[in-house]
Amino acid sequence: MSYIDIKNLKRIYQMSKEVSVEALRGVSFDIKEGEFVSVVGSSGSGKSTLLNILGGLDWEYSGHVFIDGTDIKEYNPNFYRRHIVGTIFQQFYLIPSLSVEENILLPMKFTGSKDIDVSKRLDYLLDMVDLKNRRKHLPKELSGGQAQRVAIARALIDTPKIVLADEPTGNLDSRTGESILNLLKELNKTEGITVILVTHDKNISKKTDRVITLVDGKNV
Amino acid sequence: MVKMFKYALSLILRRKLRTMLTSLGIMIAVMLMTFILFGMTDLQRAVLTQFSSVFKPTDLYVSSQDFMFGGMLTAPTKAEEEEKKEPVVVNADIKEEILEIEGVEEINTIFVINGLEMYLEGDDTPYPMNILQSFDLPGDDESFISFVGEDPVLKEDGIFVSNFVVSFFELTNEDIIGKKIVAKSLPSTSFISAANKNMIDREYEFTVQGVVETSNDAFWINTDRALDILVDIGGFESKDEYIEKIGYSQLLVKTDEEKTAQVEEYMVEEMGLSVISTKTVVDFISTLTAGLTIALIVFGAISALVASIGIINTMIMSIYEQTREIGIIKAIGASNIQVLVIFLIQSGLIGLIGGVLGLSITYAMMQIADPFIVEVLKEQGFGAIDKFFYFQFGNALIITVSSILIGVIAGIYPAMKAARLDPVKALRYE
Repeated sequence: MSYIDIKNLKRIYQMSKEVSVEALRGVSFDIKEGEFVSVVGSSGSGKSTLLNILGGLDWEYSGHVFIDGTDIKEYNPNFYRRHIVGTIFQQFYLIPSLSVEENILLPMKFTGSKDIDVSKRLDYLLDMVDLKNRRKHLPKELSGGQAQRVAIARALIDTPKIVLADEPTGNLDSRTGESILNLLKELNKTEGITVILVTHDKNISKKTDRVITLVDGKNV
Repeated sequence: MVKMFKYALSLILRRKLRTMLTSLGIMIAVMLMTFILFGMTDLQRAVLTQFSSVFKPTDLYVSSQDFMFGGMLTAPTKAEEEEKKEPVVVNADIKEEILEIEGVEEINTIFVINGLEMYLEGDDTPYPMNILQSFDLPGDDESFISFVGEDPVLKEDGIFVSNFVVSFFELTNEDIIGKKIVAKSLPSTSFISAANKNMIDREYEFTVQGVVETSNDAFWINTDRALDILVDIGGFESKDEYIEKIGYSQLLVKTDEEKTAQVEEYMVEEMGLSVISTKTVVDFISTLTAGLTIALIVFGAISALVASIGIINTMIMSIYEQTREIGIIKAIGASNIQVLVIFLIQSGLIGLIGGVLGLSITYAMMQIADPFIVEVLKEQGFGAIDKFFYFQFGNALIITVSSILIGVIAGIYPAMKAARLDPVKALRYE
């Protein structure tokens, strides 16, 4: 049974009265729970649009996205972004003035009480991303790979079921990118998290369980 | 909420200099407001303290017209103008009538003689205040703070001088007792009582019988003697004629504590007399300071408005700087309301910083200036004042809450702007 079920997803950007861009033109696929899937496609194929919709950042679409049988439109957008998905970005998007552990804990500032021991979870994630000795460092004192590992830990702090990774290795050299990919695979196995990774790099996509290819806003 | 507060605090602490500069605007407005609210309240308290040290709440000063304020308490209405009657002469009949009012315990008569230059024997310098009063109270009466002298009851040629007079002539209390005080009439001065050519070049001599400590600089003589002088310079046939035609300058009516208000009302409404009571003065001072405070608060409000524009500017700048951060926190689950609250907390904190700084600096300045102000006030006759500026918790709270509110109100537009940011666009913002 599919865990994520995307049906006939369409997204049109109305640039002006006359000009509109069809970014997604009926994307449909499903993903099993705990699967590690990559979405590939050239620039402008609709990868980022798809990820914005799955990440709960864009709700102006038509079609349906079901997660574990529930249409995501039934969720409160903030609840969805806080608890259902965790997102990792290509540019890391860490807050420069916050330390490593403060960045990881940032989502907890906007969430209600949840039955997790936050400090235990932080220690676990810092250990997992191998940044225990860097917990008080600022982002500017970290390498690109370390910064991305902080972003991964931040995405996982609130124990989401799904992690969305938007070109997570795009700003890293191949060796560091490889280590990030391995980390995501490890988390996928140990935590049972469903990972959807967007990339244009076929070498990266090869290492995932399944590849979904987008061409001109449709999956092929 | 605590987590968001800490986060908002970390955001404004990231830009310390800008936060301080923005708070400076609020600080100046708060300094102005503090000075107005504290200053006016302190001024009111000082005047009332001084007044209370001289007048007791059960004492009523009665005269034919508003003696202290010259009838300036309020402007007369048209109806009042039409109804205007001749002033009542406070003569012996009026005194008797007052004495019969329920609640009146005692009446003391007061005469005031203006326009006499007061000299100490052997000294050519006149005392700078040309008022001679008579008071049929003994020197050791509770109306005075203290009395120095052997006999507290004024003799026919005796005079009490205040400690201000002693100080002016650079003598001690003991040295001045027994010396002569000469009162000389001044042709150029207008008299409060009726006057004719008899008043020119008159001299009256008194012997200092005692020194009274008061908060006023003044001379007191025996009532009979005062009446003699008034009859003399006014060209009257007798004391009775003077009292009948001119009347007493004032009557000090001592009342039963529970009947003071009724006695006052009766004398004003039924007898057409002018009465000065503690209540009258308190009301007058309250009206005066309230009017001044409102006028000054308008200036403070303009200053606060300018400061709030500064906050709006700073917060909008912060949105541009924090656009990506807003996108990040929205992407990881912050709601529009949470972003709104974070920005309102920031602007409120800027207001709070400005408020606390303004309040503290102004209060510190007031404490530094306090001894000098007290000294000046004492020189001006405010002898009962030992401290002028007091910390006013109520006003301090109003000022602090107002400065936070100014910050929050100024932050509403920027906060709404931040809350409405599209997270996707915000993340892409360079």
